[in-house]
Amino acid sequence: MNRKYYIYIFTCTFLVVFFSCKHNEGEYHNLNDKIKAVSKTYHGTLSSEVLIDGIKTLEITEGEHTFLIPERKSQIKSFACIECHNVGLDKLQSKDIKKAHWEITLAHADENTMNCATCHNGADMNSLNTLTGSKVDFNKSYKLCSQCHSSQFEDWKGGAHGKKVAGWAPPRASYTCVNCHNPHDPSFKSRWPSRYNTEQVEAPQAESGH
Amino acid sequence: MSEKKKWYSLDLGLNRKKSDTACGCGKTEGGCGSHKPEMTDDAFLEAAVNASIGEEVRKDGFEQVFDVKMDRRSAFKKLTASLLIGAGAVSTSCSVISGDDTKEKAQIDWEEQFKGNYKLMNDEEKKATVDRLMRSYELRTGKNISMTHENAEEDVLFGYAFNISKCQGYMDCVNACIEENNQDRNSQMQYIRIHEMKDGKGFNFNEADDNYYHEVPAEGHFYMGTQCFHCDNPPCVEVCPVQATWREDDGLVVIDYDWCVGCRYCMAACPYDGRRFNWSKPEVPENEINKNQHYLGNRMRKKGVMEKCTFCVQRSRKGQNPACVEACPTGARIFGNLLDPNSTIRWVLENKKVFRLKEDLGTEPKFWYFMD
Ligand code: SF4
Ligand code: SF4
Repeated sequence: MNRKYYIYIFTCTFLVVFFSCKHNEGEYHNLNDKIKAVSKTYHGTLSSEVLIDGIKTLEITEGEHTFLIPERKSQIKSFACIECHNVGLDKLQSKDIKKAHWEITLAHADENTMNCATCHNGADMNSLNTLTGSKVDFNKSYKLCSQCHSSQFEDWKGGAHGKKVAGWAPPRASYTCVNCHNPHDPSFKSRWPSRYNTEQVEAPQAESGH
Repeated sequence: MSEKKKWYSLDLGLNRKKSDTACGCGKTEGGCGSHKPEMTDDAFLEAAVNASIGEEVRKDGFEQVFDVKMDRRSAFKKLTASLLIGAGAVSTSCSVISGDDTKEKAQIDWEEQFKGNYKLMNDEEKKATVDRLMRSYELRTGKNISMTHENAEEDVLFGYAFNISKCQGYMDCVNACIEENNQDRNSQMQYIRIHEMKDGKGFNFNEADDNYYHEVPAEGHFYMGTQCFHCDNPPCVEVCPVQATWREDDGLVVIDYDWCVGCRYCMAACPYDGRRFNWSKPEVPENEINKNQHYLGNRMRKKGVMEKCTFCVQRSRKGQNPACVEACPTGARIFGNLLDPNSTIRWVLENKKVFRLKEDLGTEPKFWYFMD
């Protein structure tokens, strides 16, 4: 008698436990589980290729990230620099001629930290140079920024900092530092918002006849 | 059109070449009683919709939901309104006075009034209704729009991330959203809200300033945007009595504006203030109308229906980013495919400290916040 009773309780417990943890196929405890479970590299029909068509890009690989960035040199008005800077900077200095680039003032870091030569190479104006003096192509100017702004660089590579050139679909094309920040004056300025938020105007109540 | 239709449709004689009597009574001219003096279609629709909304006060946000009076009379008015719209279509198409265009318009109105729920339509039926809506727009305004009905793409689940430390409160996203989505220019319904919050006070929505208008960013403040979060377990969908709103396979929560009866249950159920109601007829100047439309997205709405952010379904299902993401000058907004391990949004979720609002509700919003 007693034994039967135990078996009965055991069976009931077993059944309850067995069925309570059942999920239908395709159901997950939460969104994160679901995202991980059905994760799949996208090879669908949608692509950003048409959207970035007409924008010159180049592919870069940084760490484990490979993506496109817009080509820069063709966007610089007076490139190539050596068309004027055909001799070294020191030889171009003279008192009487009209100064070029006079409108540029550096509002980036204080004078102890940086000046023109921190990024520009006086001996070879067609390319930039790193802190240790190695050459960097104008197209890859992000390599200069990343020397100091390393956390932003990490975020940019992953996609948490900066903007995409076009759509969400692959291939990934991201704007590079200088597309949003002017390297000579990189901060975002305070300004008026482009419109009011929500309920600025009182709703007309009189006309409804209450 | 397919044989197995899920609704009844009336042949009003447009497909027949020419019948000698245009009305069932057999007379070609007035006298049978059904040839009443006519209201113009638009005036009629306006009147009928007005009757169905009633005289409720125009308020915003949660007040709209919790302050509603409904007596038997207005309930009856609401019921009759839909029938009136249908009857209007019949009387116009039966008329001998109205021209071919008017009749075609009436035929379209009829088929639109009594079409099925978009959610249940097959591709052919979706195409038919989209074609009708485009033709109807052409007949009414003489201009063409392009409306599509792309379905959810396979292996895609849309998600969004918002960087609180980047947002400066510029409001460029709101402007872009209004233009892209043909939102009413008068009522300021704005899908996106930017809340100005005091540093050091946490996310205190009660003390946030939603109506700031001074130079931004303001000293000692941060900015946080909200909109529909496209919950994976959306309570708004649950409560809809007529299933006019649902979750699509790519995670978008959408509304069929033609199926919505304007009860605003969903607005009450949404814990994030994500939904907006058309209290008046939405007005968009003709030259500002975005003509690239999607049935579930930015096509023109009418008075008395619910609408909200759709992650720009007309853009995202073509591979583009939503208009707000594209417009944001600071890069605070990140959009992408949650299922693709190589997407940038996945990198953000896996490498930044992200959180969602009211996570304990179990609504599973697909909208994360993070900081640098
Ligand atoms: S945020 Fe609100 S409207 Fe959007 S899906 Fe969630 S519950 Fe629905
Ligand atoms: S307002 Fe429209 S979408 Fe919302 S619950 Fe009512 S019928 Fe459904």
